[in-house]
Amino acid sequence: MILQSLSIKRKLTLITMLTSSAALILSALSFLIYDLVSFRHLLIQDLVTQAEIIGYNSAGAMEFKDVPAATATLSALTAKEDVVGAGLYGRDNKIFAHYSRNNNVIPALLPAHSQDKGYQVEGGYLRVFHDVTLNGERLGTLFLQSDMRQWSLRAKRYAGILFIFVLISGLFALLVSSRLQRLISRPILHLEDTMRMVSANRNYEVRATKSYGDEIGRLIDGFNTMLSEIQQRDSALRGANEELQSRTGELEKEILYRKQTQEELLKAKHAAEEASRAKSTFLANMSHELRTPLNAIIGYSEMLEEETRDSGKSDSVQDLRKIQSAGKHLLSLINDVLDLSKIEAGKMGLHLENFDVAPLIDEMTTTLQPAAAKNGNTIHTHVANNLGAMHGDVTKVRQILFNLLSNACKFTDHGTISVDVDQSEIEGRNCVRFRVSDTGIGITAKQKENLFHEFSQADASIARKYGGTGLGLAITYRFVQLMKGCISVESEPGKGATFTVHLPAQVLAETPEPVRSIASKDVTSSSDESKTEKDTILVIDDDASVRELMSRFLSKLGFHVVAASNGEEGVRLARQVRPLVITLDVVMPECDGWTVLRRLKNDSALAKIPVIMVTVVDNEAMGLDLGASNYLIKPVDRDRLAVLVEKHRSGRAASITAASASSSKSNPQQQRRESERRASGKVDHAKDLVSRR
Amino acid sequence: MPKILLVEDNEMNRDMLSRRLQRKGYSVISAHDGEQGHLLACSEVPDLILMDISLPLMNGWDVTRLLKSNPATQHIPIIALTAHALVTDRDKAFEAGCDDYDTKPVEFGRLSEKIDNLLTVKKS
Repeated sequence: MILQSLSIKRKLTLITMLTSSAALILSALSFLIYDLVSFRHLLIQDLVTQAEIIGYNSAGAMEFKDVPAATATLSALTAKEDVVGAGLYGRDNKIFAHYSRNNNVIPALLPAHSQDKGYQVEGGYLRVFHDVTLNGERLGTLFLQSDMRQWSLRAKRYAGILFIFVLISGLFALLVSSRLQRLISRPILHLEDTMRMVSANRNYEVRATKSYGDEIGRLIDGFNTMLSEIQQRDSALRGANEELQSRTGELEKEILYRKQTQEELLKAKHAAEEASRAKSTFLANMSHELRTPLNAIIGYSEMLEEETRDSGKSDSVQDLRKIQSAGKHLLSLINDVLDLSKIEAGKMGLHLENFDVAPLIDEMTTTLQPAAAKNGNTIHTHVANNLGAMHGDVTKVRQILFNLLSNACKFTDHGTISVDVDQSEIEGRNCVRFRVSDTGIGITAKQKENLFHEFSQADASIARKYGGTGLGLAITYRFVQLMKGCISVESEPGKGATFTVHLPAQVLAETPEPVRSIASKDVTSSSDESKTEKDTILVIDDDASVRELMSRFLSKLGFHVVAASNGEEGVRLARQVRPLVITLDVVMPECDGWTVLRRLKNDSALAKIPVIMVTVVDNEAMGLDLGASNYLIKPVDRDRLAVLVEKHRSGRAASITAASASSSKSNPQQQRRESERRASGKVDHAKDLVSRR
Repeated sequence: MPKILLVEDNEMNRDMLSRRLQRKGYSVISAHDGEQGHLLACSEVPDLILMDISLPLMNGWDVTRLLKSNPATQHIPIIALTAHALVTDRDKAFEAGCDDYDTKPVEFGRLSEKIDNLLTVKKS
């Protein structure tokens, strides 16, 4: 375990060292053992030989029982240091002569020994027994005892030498292995360093250096290849990321730009609609105001004419008729202007019915006979026989024909005006074709361009000579359009003109798209949707774009939104709709937000509806004093608004359940709980206020 | 002598129309606002009513609706007179219960034709 956690450097060094030391120790030990064994054998041989020599030399002395001689022979052993004792034993195994070194005790009787082997090793001593013979006769036994000093000395020496040898060679092995291990460990360590650097700095540009072509070299190659791949991918990824970011930035800019443009457009649209509404209202009011006195002028002059005629004063009748005629002319002009404004406001509808074309043409001819006669013109009509009834707005068809015919009468002098009516087909639809041609002054190509535009007559001088406002053809054109027909003109100056009108035989009901205010639209939708479960929020703001934005935002939250553009309308709608919450602007024309708030809070039916002030005016204290629930400063923090309205919604849901519970089982305890709940609601509200300050 | 109630807020128009109607041989009573018109219609029960639409206090549509929902007055033919010659006004007039409709300034000949028609229909 410890080995495993060592660094590769140490591991390599250790492995090399252990391996070499083990080999060294093993070989040294075997050598030592071999040497000691053979040395011991040598020692035994030597002592046996010694015993033979001494035995031989002392045979005579033993034969003759010459103890001194035998002792002298034995004393020759003095030269042999390791022989510690010797004894000559007679046939009776009793000691005969002896030799001892260092007062070694020689046993008096021959020690027991195995006969076959002449020696024995026992207790650190080598003992040799040799039979002393003379002429084949055994005289006794020679006993030699050696302490094997040489052997143990040699063994000690050898062990010391071996120890030093192993130590030195071990150190040398350490030296060599610690040098050589670098061959393997250095590239691995380098690889590791590189890896650490890459992972720490995420720098994929560094590369490991390859030292040798071995497996580690190949490993480094592989690592480098991997790194460069990662680097490529990383840079590609980074590039893609940067591109994505820049594109996102561009997109955001674009979105912002579009949003701004959209808002501007919306504002412009609202402004334009407002202007258009104002214009239509102005025209409607003006025409009403103009008609009322005209009504009197025409009526009284008609009445006077009757009375004058009755009383016989015929000279005044002509003058009274002139008043009438001028009045009627003025009326027709006003009607034209009103018609145009109605068309522009999209309020001109179609009143469709079935009518016969031929009688209509007759009627028109009769009506315009006086006008034709005035310039000495004659009117010819031709209506195709197969022409039956058509389905359309007869008043408008009449007016179209009237305009075309009266123009023809006006611009022709002592000529012919013809009306041709027949069937035709345009784009697969059955049509009725009306052609009105005259032999009058005609129209130039340039004049044709503006012919059907308002207030443009063919020439300014024409207006002076022939009169008129230039509205007739514009109205005619719009009426034809309204009935999905088409009108064209062919003319040559000086040779007359031909106007051709195609009208569908079956005019389809037109659904006009009137310009309606957002407020009125919202009111209508409120009546449609008031049955649904959605909670209603009333938005009171004079700025149409704010109303629009608030409506959209609150609708997304799942509220039904009703909007009012002024204070009066706001209070009225509050009574009508009884919304869950009211958002209220302060700066509004006529009736400002403070007044509206006071009126709402003074009305017992509306006082409980929470009012959120949404305004640019920074006067929260005033708002809260007057009874507003919350105060938001424009531009509105939508998240904040969402939180507030959601709170009121959940608050109402809770109070509904509580109310139903208390109504089903009304007891004092429950009522108290209810009042507590309300009180805690107030505390919440107060907290809310504090947290915002 | 058929009795006609003229409800019209403009004094000149009221004077002029009532005089011309009288010349035609009708007996004319007039009211200058919606409420008075309603009261007179209930008390006098005229043979026909000429009803201006833009009236003070109560507009012509509302007066018409009231009269047409009252069993005592619902038989009286009513001709609406309006300055706004819009198709929607025309539809609105019939929706409110008017029997006929004409635009101002009044073309007297056309109006007296309509009056005659309604009176004849009523008689038959």
